[in-house]
Amino acid sequence: MRRAYIFVIIGILVLGGAFLPSAFVGTSTALQQATATVSITPTFDSSRLAQPPTVYPPAQADTGEQTYWGMCMSCHGDKGQGLTEDWKNSFPPEEKNCWDSGCHASDAPANSFELPQTGIPALAGAGALARFSNSFELYRHIHENMPFARAGSLTSAEAWSLTAYVLRMNEREVQGFTLSESSGAAISVHRKVTPPASQIPGALIFVGVLILAAIGVNIQQASTGKPNFFHHLHPPSIPAAQSRFRYTLGAGGAAVFLSLILLVTGLLEMYYYVPTSAQAAISVQTITNLVPFGALTRNLHFWSAQFLVVVMSIHLLRVTLTGAYAAPRKFNHVLGVALLAFILLLDFTGYVLRWDEGIHWALVVGANMLKTVPFIGEGLYRFVIGGSEPGDSTLIRFYAWHIFGLMLGAVILMVWHTFRVRRDGGIAIPPPTERKENERITRFDLLRREVLAMTLAAVILILFSLLIPAPIKQPITSFNIMSGDSRAPWFFLWIQYLLKFGDPFVMGILIPIFVVLVLGSLPYILPNAKREELGNWFPRGNRIAQVIAVLIMAVILVLTILGAIPK
Amino acid sequence: MKNLSRRDFLKLSTNALFGLSGLLGLGGLFRYFNYYPPEAPVEFDLGDSANFPVGSRTVRSDVPAVIVNRDGEIVAYSLVCTHLGCTVAESASGFDCPCHGSRYDQNGNVLAGPAQKPLKKLSVEILEDGTLKLHAKG
Repeated sequence: MRRAYIFVIIGILVLGGAFLPSAFVGTSTALQQATATVSITPTFDSSRLAQPPTVYPPAQADTGEQTYWGMCMSCHGDKGQGLTEDWKNSFPPEEKNCWDSGCHASDAPANSFELPQTGIPALAGAGALARFSNSFELYRHIHENMPFARAGSLTSAEAWSLTAYVLRMNEREVQGFTLSESSGAAISVHRKVTPPASQIPGALIFVGVLILAAIGVNIQQASTGKPNFFHHLHPPSIPAAQSRFRYTLGAGGAAVFLSLILLVTGLLEMYYYVPTSAQAAISVQTITNLVPFGALTRNLHFWSAQFLVVVMSIHLLRVTLTGAYAAPRKFNHVLGVALLAFILLLDFTGYVLRWDEGIHWALVVGANMLKTVPFIGEGLYRFVIGGSEPGDSTLIRFYAWHIFGLMLGAVILMVWHTFRVRRDGGIAIPPPTERKENERITRFDLLRREVLAMTLAAVILILFSLLIPAPIKQPITSFNIMSGDSRAPWFFLWIQYLLKFGDPFVMGILIPIFVVLVLGSLPYILPNAKREELGNWFPRGNRIAQVIAVLIMAVILVLTILGAIPK
Repeated sequence: MKNLSRRDFLKLSTNALFGLSGLLGLGGLFRYFNYYPPEAPVEFDLGDSANFPVGSRTVRSDVPAVIVNRDGEIVAYSLVCTHLGCTVAESASGFDCPCHGSRYDQNGNVLAGPAQKPLKKLSVEILEDGTLKLHAKG
């Protein structure tokens, strides 16, 4: 007895040893604070004016150092000290004379310019960067105002590498990290930050939690033979025909699994997301770049949301093409289509919460479309936007809809939809007297299949999340400047494409609503499959509905592809 | 092995696996929540050091701190009570805490409890141009 326990404990320790370290590694290195002293990487041997040696491969700040030497150093100094007397004196006499005699003045030869009256500020040292809070602000200042004589001439890559070099001069450089419009807002200019090195430990933890729990569920059944809580969510046994993958495609189950992932990852994101127009995009960049496992959490949330739309569409097509919505499942079909509409709205509100240049014009266009609704348009616009133009009140409304209003509706519909599936006798197959086979599977088998499918789905999700990051652009700084992407999110691309063809009210609002109504009312307006036809693909009874559903989906798909092609 | 049935063994393994799964999840959560945004330094510009002559005591309620120049050396004490963090008020004997009655003398030493530790000393930096900078976070 005692030896057996020891054996089990050793087994657990070995298994735990494989996973646990990754959970705790690096907890102590959250933030390293740097003091605000000026430091220079002295690369000058013979002269302070010499070009710094090139480094291969160059870090972003190394590239910036070269640009700095070429464009900025003569005024801002070799240490970022600004145009001090000491710095002027380091030039050869004839050029020093130039500083003194004012050849950078309007009466000098061509290409000269007047030095600013206020003096040339230091870039490094205490207080030098006090007017900026994050690297994106510093980048914007450099990009728009520098070099002084030719403001705006820097490419955005040059401006980012200069930003990285200014951070290096202030001992704030983030090693092995590339500043960009998708990460700069998260990087403070006042404190040195250390981004997490890798998302892999997070992925291992996530897979580990699921696999251990999955093995546990199976062993538990083997050990007791009694159903546990999860078994009790299922009927004691169901006809084998109801659980065939080639009939159900597993789409409904996958949708439930994705919804659970969305709930958990969404909750985690709420701990760091700040729903104000000034902070929203910065907090998203912080989650993506600085929070441990934050990128993984956000990518999982993003990919689950995208796949949910796909999986629900497949589910809708499956139900239509197998005629499964025939009585008594007519009403549940309506619930399912309503749920799809809720999920699309959740996807759109979640997309807007990024509050970056990527969503800017989709929000403006989507909201303006509401104004085209006769009579109630203006009211509808104010209801959605929370004022006369997008701003803080818009963001907080979208936030409230996303995390609570729409979520609550979707959860109610989802529970109702699942309840009706069971109430209506499970997945549609012919009545017992009409069945060709009477094989049944127990809930133990059913749960085992579900757990296996969930684990597979989780691995696919994680692979997508590790390989393809969720989009993020630079924060919105003004609602009047047209920049960034003007494309709708992919699930609304078909509507965006339709908008090219006519009145926005008809194309953007009436037609989409009409499509949803048609899909939802298929069981009520067209002939249905007969009971004995159920359980098979393409029954004769609802052929017209099948054709209509496939046509609608095909047209939406084609319009989406057309809308996705860059102009 | 003799007393452990197959069933008991499996039950034990199940619980162990669930426990391990939960522990792993908790570890992940612990890591996830372990990010804190960088804090900006809390500094106050005190102006010219000549504003604090020998023997002067100046209360800056925005810090809150009292800046004392006893004998040429300028020091600052935080006015946050070391008991539970209320802001202490000036009194005849020094500083009294309105919340729980702790009393400090003019140099921040405890006269009466419940506070145990003297008021925290803050660092005052003299800059090159002769002005003073107070670092409110130690």
